[in-house]
Formats: sequence, structure tokens, C-alpha cells
Amino acid sequence: MNQLKFYLPKIFLSFLLVFLLIFSEIALVVQNKALSEKTFSLVIEQQALDEKAYSALDIYFQSRSNSTGIPKKVYLEAIQQEELKTAILSSVEQAFAFLNGETETYSFSMDFTKLENSVNAFFNQYAEENNYQKDEAFYQKIQENLDEAEEKILYTADTFKFSTLNEHGWLEKLRSYLSIFRTGVIIICVMTIFIMGILLFLCRTTPKEIPYWLGLTGVISGLLTASPCVYVLRTNYFSSFVVKDPQIFAAVVGYLQYITGQLCTVTLITLIFGIIFLILFGILHAKTNS
Amino acid sequence: MTEQSKKNSALFYVLTGVFLLILCIAVSVGVLVIPYEKAKTYLNIVFMDQEMKITPSSGLDGLVIKENTIETAAPDQKFYDSGKIIRPAFGEQYAVLDCEEISLSVPVYWGSSAELLDRGACQASSSVVLGETGNVVIDAHVNTFFADLPKLKAGDVITLSTNYGIFTYQVSEQIQFLNTNKQYVLPSEEDKLTLYTCEAQVLGTSDNRIGVVCSLVSKQFYQPSEEGTT
Repeated sequence: MNQLKFYLPKIFLSFLLVFLLIFSEIALVVQNKALSEKTFSLVIEQQALDEKAYSALDIYFQSRSNSTGIPKKVYLEAIQQEELKTAILSSVEQAFAFLNGETETYSFSMDFTKLENSVNAFFNQYAEENNYQKDEAFYQKIQENLDEAEEKILYTADTFKFSTLNEHGWLEKLRSYLSIFRTGVIIICVMTIFIMGILLFLCRTTPKEIPYWLGLTGVISGLLTASPCVYVLRTNYFSSFVVKDPQIFAAVVGYLQYITGQLCTVTLITLIFGIIFLILFGILHAKTNS
Repeated sequence: MTEQSKKNSALFYVLTGVFLLILCIAVSVGVLVIPYEKAKTYLNIVFMDQEMKITPSSGLDGLVIKENTIETAAPDQKFYDSGKIIRPAFGEQYAVLDCEEISLSVPVYWGSSAELLDRGACQASSSVVLGETGNVVIDAHVNTFFADLPKLKAGDVITLSTNYGIFTYQVSEQIQFLNTNKQYVLPSEEDKLTLYTCEAQVLGTSDNRIGVVCSLVSKQFYQPSEEGTT
């Protein structure tokens, strides 16, 4: 009767613990992985975003040369792949500096001095070789070409689209919610430990049940979180992402798959621990009965 | 402890586990169903490209370019006025455009993208497939395949060969329009061919488009249309 008196509270606390474990896992993965500058740097490396961005620019300027007559090398020789990588890393760095409150605004820019020199040199050489008049329209054409090229390069280098997020005010919103979120993570983790503590306290008269309740909550929370993660990863769900710019596609899909993979790993570890606890309980239970 | 009470005890723990699992699943489904329904529309838009799920590493932004060999008609080939049309896939070469007057022979791809424009002329997928009734709209770069397009004049003959027939057109008028003007690229009820390119401009892009509108001379299908179009 004494045991039965604690049965319903144990069920209720286990139920709470299952969801608190799920929230804790998700919150910790989001805080330590999804909102980590290191993760973005890792995705840049893993997905070779600089290579993809450079290739995208190569295709763009080649295609553009078919209508403008300006060879792609005028642009591409002034922008090296290494510079693109630095720019992509810089966009991430700037975004996190803004999110962490180190800067008041998000700004992303690149040094286009070499590009300006290259385009100017090509136009002037063309004008001299073809007796092209260097009038106001000539200099306006140079400026238009530079503006279009710089806009395209910045768009291509901003693989994670922080500029777009900033323009729409999402980066600002994220920044304001970040401190609340970080406090929330601590509260969830403390609550998880607290509920676990109460559950253990209720099991003080039947200590052999401790691994049972811990195992049960671990297994159920693991199953509930791991199942959708495995489904998403196995079906390549993120690969149906609609934006087809290669560098943006690789950045977004690579990032989402990495985060889902990390969450999946954490939940599978919880699941394994849960199974171990249940096996332990089974052994203890068998010994007590015999 | 008796055997029966051992069994009961084990059953009790198993049933507790199953009950808790069902309870948690039910609560999760119940809580998530409304947010999921709200997010479903957005998710379906953001992750709508089902083709990429099958071939996630096909490259070229998911564009699959297919080069085809367009067979020329045999000397004893029998032709039909109406016939079977083979509808191409986006990125597939499905015709060859020939014009003796400007020594032009260029592959025609279904759909338009930078990669396809590098390979040949592109037919807008919003226009009708060759053989169907309506406006066939084809464009290409001015510095490559359509460099001599402005040289075409009324009466010049243009032939489009496919693997299901040959379609002959005659230039009826030269056109010039702004890229914002869709007058010449819109669908039409009459059979015609519209070819256009950018106006050549030194060191820059032009907003002007130049080209020709051609009227249909003949449609020659290799196979009759008894089984309908495919």
C-alpha cells in the first residue's frame, strides 16, 4: 500500500522528466551547436563553401560575358577563392559579434580595390585600343559594372544569408531573444535535475526501482526525439531545399543536417543510457526475486 | 516469492512502461499537431524540391542537362501533318535550329538558365512545344549563338528539327522591344516562332531586345497522332 501510494507521483514525475529531458537535449544542442560560431566554421570547411561560391561566380561572370563582352577574368582574377573564404568567415564573425552584443550593427563588406583596378584597367585599355570616347557615359558604364559585380560577389559570399536576415530584422529579434533563451536553458536544466531529485527521493524506500524510472524516462525521451531526427536524416528531407544557389544550398542544408545529426547523437546516447539502466534494473529485479 | 507474483511484478513494470510511452506519444502528438499544421505550408514551400531527395548530389543547382542526338529524316521518310509529340524535360536538348541565310545551326534546350544558355539556344518553358499550336519562343546570347540574328530579313527560312518531326518557319518581321515588354513572348493562338536576343552593346548589358517573328510554313511529323500526344 505504501508502495502504491508513491506509484502515481512517480508516473507523473517520470512523465514530466521525459519532456524536460527532451527540452534539455534540444536546448543544449541549440545553445552549444546551432548558435555556435564554431559550427558555422565547420560547415564552411565541410561543405567547401568557398569553392562553391567561387564556382558560382565563375558561372555568373562567364554567362555575363556572353552579353557584355567583358571577359570573366577581369572579375575573377581580382577575387581569389581564399578571399571569398575570408569573406564568408567574416560574415559569420560579424553576425555573432552582433548577436553577442559586441557590435551595435551587423555589417558585411569586402575590399574591392583590386576589382576596381581590374575593371578600370580593362575599360581604359578597351577605350584606347578601339578609340572609344571616354565621356560621361563611359565612366557611368564602369560604375554600373562595378556596382553589379560587387553586389553579386557580396551576395555570393554571404552564404548563410545573414544580410537578408538582418534586413528583415530577424537578426535583431534573435539578438533580443538570445539572453532570454540562455536563461531558459539554465532553468530547464535545473528543473530537470530537480524533478530527477524528487523522483529519486520518492524511490528512497525502494532503491532497486531507481534504475527502472531513470531508464524508462531515458528510453522514452530518446525514442521521441531520435525518431524524427532519424527520419529527417534518412529521407534526406533537407535536400529538397528550394534555393538552388550551390553555395547557399550547401550552407543551409549542411548546417541543418549537422545540427540534426548532433541532436540525434545526443538523444541516442540518452536512449542507450536508458536501456543500460533498464537492463540493470532487470538484473537487480531478478536477483531480488531469487 | 511465488512464480505467479514474480510474473505479476514483471508485468506491472512492463505495463507501466508501455502506459508511460503511450501517454507521452499521445501528449506529443496532441501538442504538436496545431503548430505542425501551421508550419506545414511554409515547410512545403521551403523544402518543395522532391527531385533532389532522390538525387541530392546531382550538382548544377539540381539542373539535369540532357544532350540528345537529333536524327535527321531518312530520304524515304513519310511525313504527317499532325502527329506524336515527345515532350522534353527541363534542361533537355530536343531540337536543332538551322538557318542557311546566316549559317546558323544551334541546339535548342527546353527551359532557360545560365548553364543552358552557354550550351545553345533556350526555349521558354512557358511557350508551346514544337508541333503544338501557339508561340514558340527561343532566345540565346548575342555574343555567341545569336550574334547574327539581326541579319535575318523577311522571307528567310528557319528549320527546327526534332526527333519527332521537322518544323519550318519563315521570317515575317523584325522586332525590337524592351526586356520589360512581354508582348512578343506571350502565348498566342496562331502558330509562330519568336527568336530574340539582347541588343549588342559595348561593355555592358542592354535592356533592349532584338529578334524576329516567323510564321509557320509546315509541320512534318514522323509518326501520326493516333495514340495522342505524349
